[in-house]
Amino acid sequence: MLRFFTIRLLRAAVTLTMVVTFAFLVLIASGDPADIIMGSDAPPEAIEAFRQAWGLDRPIWVQYLSYFSAILSGDLGRSMRDGRDAIVLVAERIPATLALTLPALALKLALGIPAGIYAALHRNSMADRAVMVLAVAGFTIPSFVLGLLLVLVFAVQLGWLPSGGQESWRHAILPVITLGIGGAAVLARFTRSAMLEVLGQPYIRTASAKGVAWRAVVSHHALPNAAIPTVTIIGFMVGSLLAGAVVVESVFSWPGVGRLLVTAVANRDLAVVQCILLLVAATMITANLVVDLLYGLLDPRLRSGKEG
Amino acid sequence: MRRRHLAGLPALFAAPALAQSDQRPELRVAVQKISNSNTLETPREQSNVGFRLSTLYAESLIGTNWTGDLRAVPELATATRRLDDRTVEFELRPGVRMHDGRVMTAEDVAFSIGGARLFGTGAARERGGITAGQQGMEPQPEVIATARRTFPGLERVEVVGEGVVRFVNRTPDVTLEKRLQQNVGVILSRAAFEASENWLAWARRPIGTGPYRVAEFRPDVSLTFEAHDEYWGGRPPARRIRFVEIPEAASRVNALFSGEVDFATDIPPDQIRSVERNPRFEVQGSAINNIRILAFDTSHAVLRNPLVRRAMSHAIDRQAIVGSLWAGRTEIPRGLQLEFFDDMYLRDWDNPRHDPAEARRLLREAGYRGEPIPYRCLNNYYVNQTANAQVMVEMWRAVGLNVQLQMMENWTQILEPGPTRGVRDWSCTHVFADPVGSLVRAMGPGSPLQRQEEWSNAAFNALSAELEASTDRARRRVVFRRMLEIIEREDPGYMVLHTAATFIAKRRDIRWRASRGWPMDFRASNLGFGA
Repeated sequence: MLRFFTIRLLRAAVTLTMVVTFAFLVLIASGDPADIIMGSDAPPEAIEAFRQAWGLDRPIWVQYLSYFSAILSGDLGRSMRDGRDAIVLVAERIPATLALTLPALALKLALGIPAGIYAALHRNSMADRAVMVLAVAGFTIPSFVLGLLLVLVFAVQLGWLPSGGQESWRHAILPVITLGIGGAAVLARFTRSAMLEVLGQPYIRTASAKGVAWRAVVSHHALPNAAIPTVTIIGFMVGSLLAGAVVVESVFSWPGVGRLLVTAVANRDLAVVQCILLLVAATMITANLVVDLLYGLLDPRLRSGKEG
Repeated sequence: MRRRHLAGLPALFAAPALAQSDQRPELRVAVQKISNSNTLETPREQSNVGFRLSTLYAESLIGTNWTGDLRAVPELATATRRLDDRTVEFELRPGVRMHDGRVMTAEDVAFSIGGARLFGTGAARERGGITAGQQGMEPQPEVIATARRTFPGLERVEVVGEGVVRFVNRTPDVTLEKRLQQNVGVILSRAAFEASENWLAWARRPIGTGPYRVAEFRPDVSLTFEAHDEYWGGRPPARRIRFVEIPEAASRVNALFSGEVDFATDIPPDQIRSVERNPRFEVQGSAINNIRILAFDTSHAVLRNPLVRRAMSHAIDRQAIVGSLWAGRTEIPRGLQLEFFDDMYLRDWDNPRHDPAEARRLLREAGYRGEPIPYRCLNNYYVNQTANAQVMVEMWRAVGLNVQLQMMENWTQILEPGPTRGVRDWSCTHVFADPVGSLVRAMGPGSPLQRQEEWSNAAFNALSAELEASTDRARRRVVFRRMLEIIEREDPGYMVLHTAATFIAKRRDIRWRASRGWPMDFRASNLGFGA
């Protein structure tokens, strides 16, 4: 187990280093924050003063080493836009993002998994086809299109819900639905495929032949075995809780991490972008680690390292 | 102690009563961006979005008639006296109450323009990291640089007596009064600055004299103003104004239609008709004090020849662009000047006419053989930018010019020097009513155009210096004309396209007029409700 964790931690460290380095190089090479933040009308003297104040006039490798050593000492830097600590700026936005992504995750699970199971158990029926048509529509419609459609119907035409902002729980309904529908569709398809594969296995036939009730066959034999691919997808969804709502937050003017990321990238606000990327990478790595552990719980063969 | 507590009780009960009795409505305005720098300090937020808001909370000694002819109007000063070419004296408006309840004094003026707010105290700064903001009251280096650029010759601001201040310049400058109209020179409370926790806290809640005071600023989310009921210009008609940030234009329009906001700014021209189809809404807006231009890089192998640059200008049908892309709702200025220049406005000046035959003749004379000319372009940083660029590329193609459109992501990529830098989009804001505030600022010595080594002309530079220092008005007109001849005809550094315009969608039942600039005026003279 110790070896398992050590290897995972080393991999995580390498991944984080690559994320930091890649993001630094891309951001620095593709735009000068001084030009972008100060704007095209700013006096040249002001742009130069900005560059000097932030050390942007130094060679790139000096900037990189200085930045990397700061990260190692726990300093994630400050926003070039307003001088605040990047970690504080990001931390302020996390609750807003989680207020969308957690209910959306619950919606995905509540809709996607039962729909997938139902479709698999009624394979080739009208219900199966209807669920799959909806699922295909759900994950092929881009979230910005779906979001705008929902706004047009429920905010502009019917006037039932607000079109954007973050003032009350009602403001979260449309973005949560927009986020939830796409994920539920993906989960439904994966769950259906996994269930169909398991339902075709000999041990399912054996259980049925032994006279076990079909409900028990499904709940005790099919579902646990079909859970592994579904858990993998859920792991990805949990990993993207922090930055999985970039487009939806923009469409609904929701002031979360996603919108902060868009603004920070556009402004080449390095410290803020890096801070978000590090958090996202850390969340993703943690989610993957948890999924790996869950595999062991779901399938004892994986725990003992033996093939069936 | 007991008495102090009891003394507060009537006020405690009175406050809700007052709030209930205040029947003025609350306005909600959807904007694309509240502040680029996440601050409201004008020298730090020199942007279109910053110009939109600053007149709400802060004012200058001399104001601008934004909803009229853009000319100067008395604001915090009631009288101006020119003592000599270097010195101007201002009599301050008496009894102007600031947002912190204090009466504005001459010391506030000296602090706001000549003191620590703009120029700092010279305290040492740490290199390579943010130094202002959370640590102290020293303004950021770019604030000081902007201040120096705005008031380049300012020597000192003297408090002459109660309500009288004197501005002394190192060099003669007839534009000093006009420079003071810019929002860098707004008058803010010295006491509030000194009481602030740090510069960032101050910059997020500057205490000025405007009709509305900053109540709450949530960067990237919303900015709420409350009426400043002791405003010298009359009680503001709205109780509160809340600006909410909605980056997407479609979402702003949806918010207006669903009744969540009363105004939606930055409406693209192609959406005006769809908004106005609904009888409850209208779109206001017009040409503003900003001119869209195209800058030439004269170090480019083809553009080195001024004949090619002149041909490019003759090939463009500006009227067709304004008619088709702007629905005729903007104007074509007569060169890089606006009518509010007053005695400096050259009525008989005009842009090179649309003349494809002349363009072809110039290209023949230049020996142009279809060599590619790169045109770096951002994706709609300016309204209609991409469509405009595509139309112009076709107009150039029609006269034989091979202009190649290159889409870029940001200004660094647009400005990066090299053989592939040729033509680029730009705009020029007339920050005050004199060519010094636009032509010299944007094209003269030390300007962005010359610093980036896109264009330079020794004769033009000498005339720029003369225009800045001369106090002979007749001579200044001659100098200005000659400068336009050089930079727009003989050795083009840019070509004028059209005046920029901004459009605001609003509820039709709110009486309000859009200004001829970025600022939104919500004072009693420009805002009303009901019949």
